[in-house]
Amino acid sequence: MTVSTQSFSFVSDLVRRHSAIQLAPGKEYLVESRLGPLAREKGLHGTDAVEQYVQRYVRTGSSGEIVRVVEAMTTNETSWFRDTSPFTALRRVVLPAHGDGDLSIWSAACSTGQEPYSIAMVLAEQGHQRFRILATDINAQVLDRARGGRYSQLEVNRGLPAPMLVRHFRRAGAEWEVDPALRRNLTFEKHNLLTPPPGVGTFDVVFLRNVLIYFDMPTKQSILARLRSRVRPGGYLILGAAETTVGVDPAWERVDGAHGSIYRLRGGSA
Amino acid sequence: MRALVIDDSRVMRRIVASTLKGLGFEIAEAGDGRAALDLLEAGERFDLACVDWNMPVMDGLELVQEVRKRRDWRDLTLMMVTTESEQNQIVRALAAGAHEYLIKPFTPDALEAKLDMLGLLPQKELA
Amino acid sequence: MTDTTSTLAQSVVPMAQDLFTAMVDGEPGLLLPMEALEEPITDPLYAWVDIVGPAVSRTLVVTARETADRLARSLLLKEDDEPVTLEDVQDALGEVANVVGGNLKAMMPEGSSLTLPVVEHAEPSASRPADHEQALLWWGGPILIQLWTSTNGEDL
Repeated sequence: MTVSTQSFSFVSDLVRRHSAIQLAPGKEYLVESRLGPLAREKGLHGTDAVEQYVQRYVRTGSSGEIVRVVEAMTTNETSWFRDTSPFTALRRVVLPAHGDGDLSIWSAACSTGQEPYSIAMVLAEQGHQRFRILATDINAQVLDRARGGRYSQLEVNRGLPAPMLVRHFRRAGAEWEVDPALRRNLTFEKHNLLTPPPGVGTFDVVFLRNVLIYFDMPTKQSILARLRSRVRPGGYLILGAAETTVGVDPAWERVDGAHGSIYRLRGGSA
Repeated sequence: MRALVIDDSRVMRRIVASTLKGLGFEIAEAGDGRAALDLLEAGERFDLACVDWNMPVMDGLELVQEVRKRRDWRDLTLMMVTTESEQNQIVRALAAGAHEYLIKPFTPDALEAKLDMLGLLPQKELA
Repeated sequence: MTDTTSTLAQSVVPMAQDLFTAMVDGEPGLLLPMEALEEPITDPLYAWVDIVGPAVSRTLVVTARETADRLARSLLLKEDDEPVTLEDVQDALGEVANVVGGNLKAMMPEGSSLTLPVVEHAEPSASRPADHEQALLWWGGPILIQLWTSTNGEDL
């Protein structure tokens, strides 16, 4: 039940580069327990299953397998406002520029829903009433969880400010459930980023955080090009802290003075 | 940064303290609300107090109320760290003047995330 | 079984697993539910908290001293062979009862309060058998959680 030093450092390097999450030596057990199920799916069993899996499928550089490994290793890191800069940007940059008109937001790769609900909470706290949020993910299972809007005690502990918890959630047995009033403006839909954008009309803001890092340059470019076709001129793109459009797609300009990776589609008024 | 960890369970004090130490805090401990007040009245200053709710002598809610009566202690950030998890109890603690509320059980990264949101973490190094 | 008892009963396992995942083991999968105890717990320690007020309830956690020692070592971040005092062990097991009992309280009628944990070598007295019990296995050692509930004001 041991993963070799080389395989461990390969996996920890992969995770660090793709998620900025550090996997310190001594966390070998975490690699074993998180990658065990992936190894078993490949028919690998026994004490060296994970080692075999890393050697045969991950080190060969298959991008699909790399995405799965990084997801498996970071899956518990989903949190609410832990990275505050996207939400600060929404409050300080997007809303003042937009005024109080209808706001259309796409939360792409929303995973278990913390991001779209956080966006809705920020808008509600700012008194912004007229908005709709389309939340999508490629994984039907996590999307079901997102749609359900129920979170365990451990999940609400992770990065959700207590004043927001008591305002926008209610206790449901051992779990917490998102207030129906907050959910009213959210729609959930299965979507693959490698296909045309979902929904209808144009978006004012797209959240696409910690997704581009998984893809190679041509794929990044095609994702951004497709996405851009559905963002209104002057609309915003909010990326993960380690991501940028610079050198990928010149149609976007960085928003000066905002912390975090906030980009505006060139053209349009604001 | 200095933190005061108030809990009647030594095990729990040690868990909270070890996470805070790892984040660069200097730690003092108290086993109940009265002992915590004594430290504050003796002039000890802290940036953060992690407060359990159910404790002998003086409970955490009473401690929060006492601390909030004192203008000279208003810079002290109060975070409940407790197994009390009814919505009403959280509302009561926030109304009494607690800034944050962490429900037991919690993971070290949940505690860290709360501190991050309270602006009590040193600036993160870029990975 | 009353509705309250069955709601609580369903929550005991996920609650205890959350506690062990987050604060004891640092990873999931090490605390496992069992159908029933295979044999009585030897050299047992009993830790319990009561809920008093509109709802009355007791959460009792029973485990062997050996398992309680391991629990204390895990919680105190000690090495496998480091000694722990009885005081440490009582504190650790009491906190487990406190966290499980406290979280169960959130699922009961509001306005009740939680007593401080009591940890003894002897079983607390009760007028009737537990309303629900759940056996768990942790590192090969059994842990038994028993619940008593009453929402009509009767004693346990």
